[in-house]
Amino acid sequence: MSTNHHQTGSVKDYFADLFSGISTTVIGMWITFKYVWAVKPVSIEYPEVREVLPERARMRLFNDVQNCISCTQCAMACPVDCIYIASEKRPEGEEIKKTSNGQPIRLKLTQFTIDTALCCYCGLCTVVCPTECLTHSHDYEFSQYTIDTMKYDYLAPDVIAWRDRIVKS
Amino acid sequence: MQSKWDIGEPEKPTINSETEQLKSDLLTLNMGPQHPATHGVLRLEIWTDSEIVAHAIPHLGYLHRCMEKHAENLDYRGVIPFVDRLDYLAAMNMEWTYVAAVEKMLGTEVPRRAELIRILVAELNRIASHMMAFGTYAIDLGAFTPFLYAFDEREKILRLFEEVSGARLLYNYIWIGGVWNDWTDEQLERVANFCDVMEEEIKKYNELVSMNKIFIERTANVGVVSIEDCFAYGATGPILRGSGMKWDLRKNMPYGLYSEFDFDIPVGSSEVAGQAGDCWNRYMVRMNEVNESVKIIRQVIQKMEPGPVMGKVSKIIKLPKGEVYVRHECPRGELGVHLISDGGKTPYRLKVKSPCFTHVSMLPHIAPGQMIADLVATVGSIDIVLGEVDR
Repeated sequence: MSTNHHQTGSVKDYFADLFSGISTTVIGMWITFKYVWAVKPVSIEYPEVREVLPERARMRLFNDVQNCISCTQCAMACPVDCIYIASEKRPEGEEIKKTSNGQPIRLKLTQFTIDTALCCYCGLCTVVCPTECLTHSHDYEFSQYTIDTMKYDYLAPDVIAWRDRIVKS
Repeated sequence: MQSKWDIGEPEKPTINSETEQLKSDLLTLNMGPQHPATHGVLRLEIWTDSEIVAHAIPHLGYLHRCMEKHAENLDYRGVIPFVDRLDYLAAMNMEWTYVAAVEKMLGTEVPRRAELIRILVAELNRIASHMMAFGTYAIDLGAFTPFLYAFDEREKILRLFEEVSGARLLYNYIWIGGVWNDWTDEQLERVANFCDVMEEEIKKYNELVSMNKIFIERTANVGVVSIEDCFAYGATGPILRGSGMKWDLRKNMPYGLYSEFDFDIPVGSSEVAGQAGDCWNRYMVRMNEVNESVKIIRQVIQKMEPGPVMGKVSKIIKLPKGEVYVRHECPRGELGVHLISDGGKTPYRLKVKSPCFTHVSMLPHIAPGQMIADLVATVGSIDIVLGEVDR
């Protein structure tokens, strides 16, 4: 159906073919050869040199539990259901704290877990957050040996300790 | 009576007298699912007669993620990350098609700046996608260097997208009612500079690859798809244009603000090399489309005016009862989104008509009679993305 046979009848055609074959290859090789000295390398040697991520880069999620009011809007917006939230009523007489932007924290957060292995980094949960406590951090190196360890409990003290590193203000 | 479009049983390949003596049973070969030339996880079952392909049967489904069914359980905003993952090399175009379908039913007014930004990102993504197609096609045919050059340019686009949307491939940037973030003037200036660079680069690629004698010999007159076959199978995009049909939805049925823009539709012909509908012309249509996209992007930056980028959309989106079909010109062809709503918060049915699926279905027709190496050139020139084929 599509056999491609160049009809090279004459000697002239043969040499014309030969010439165009050599000349176009030389042009291509000259373009590549210019890269030897005229073009600077563009790649980064990763573990030693790290790229500075843009401001909006969406990497691992971080929830600042001190500002979370357990409204579960992020869990509802999540298209893959990877956010697990549990909360309970505060006991009578306990002082109601306020978030940094002045909203009262009426419910007591008992669980805030994100399955990072399931997360698709779409950013829909961070947009709906009313207190802006759930944000995408710039951490991208968090590979693990087992998939269970990809679940982060943001109430655990070691995860809360990330706050000093991640949250700017 | 045989209809006009009925191609009947695949013909047995013509075998010359030399191989006639060695004639034996057909040998079954599996090309893929892990094969560098199939661009993903496509498995081609090939029945070969010596070096000639007698039948090629594509086997799909290795990347099936049940996206259409899954979308029925998600709210309308939540579907956007999933349509991103259809054609992950041109996610902006995918998002725009889905969002346009929702907006059409909702009757949302999109601000002018948002419409312009949508065209900007769609065309930039078209360039990125065609750069990927160009680079991997060169790899298929044995040239490694063009791949690195193409990725260098693609990287600049991805970096811009990362700055405005936060992700490099799966953006979730085009939202119902507008776009997520605004572009700064500094970023638009960088896009303008990028346009100048890209035009020079395309000239360089044409010298390096397109006009190379070895490349032309490998691709010209190989894998010819006639215009009748294109109509019969419903091929769109660069395949249809490569066969000589001047059809581009951006021009013929303008959506968005495309009617305000001035650009040409590149079509395949036998002027420079090969014939209309062969691999070289399909490839060349893509290269020329990059130039046209650069033209559009320049006009977008000229027309850009300050304003809001997000229209008024209620927090919980409920579509009226009914259905809509929207199709857009994506880098690989026409993507159609058929959205049916029963008045609830989630789609009742979301059907995606994928151009790549159509093009894969053409393979059993194109492949018989080719050499195996030419089949690699053909598969590369129809430029499929398996995320879109399997959904």
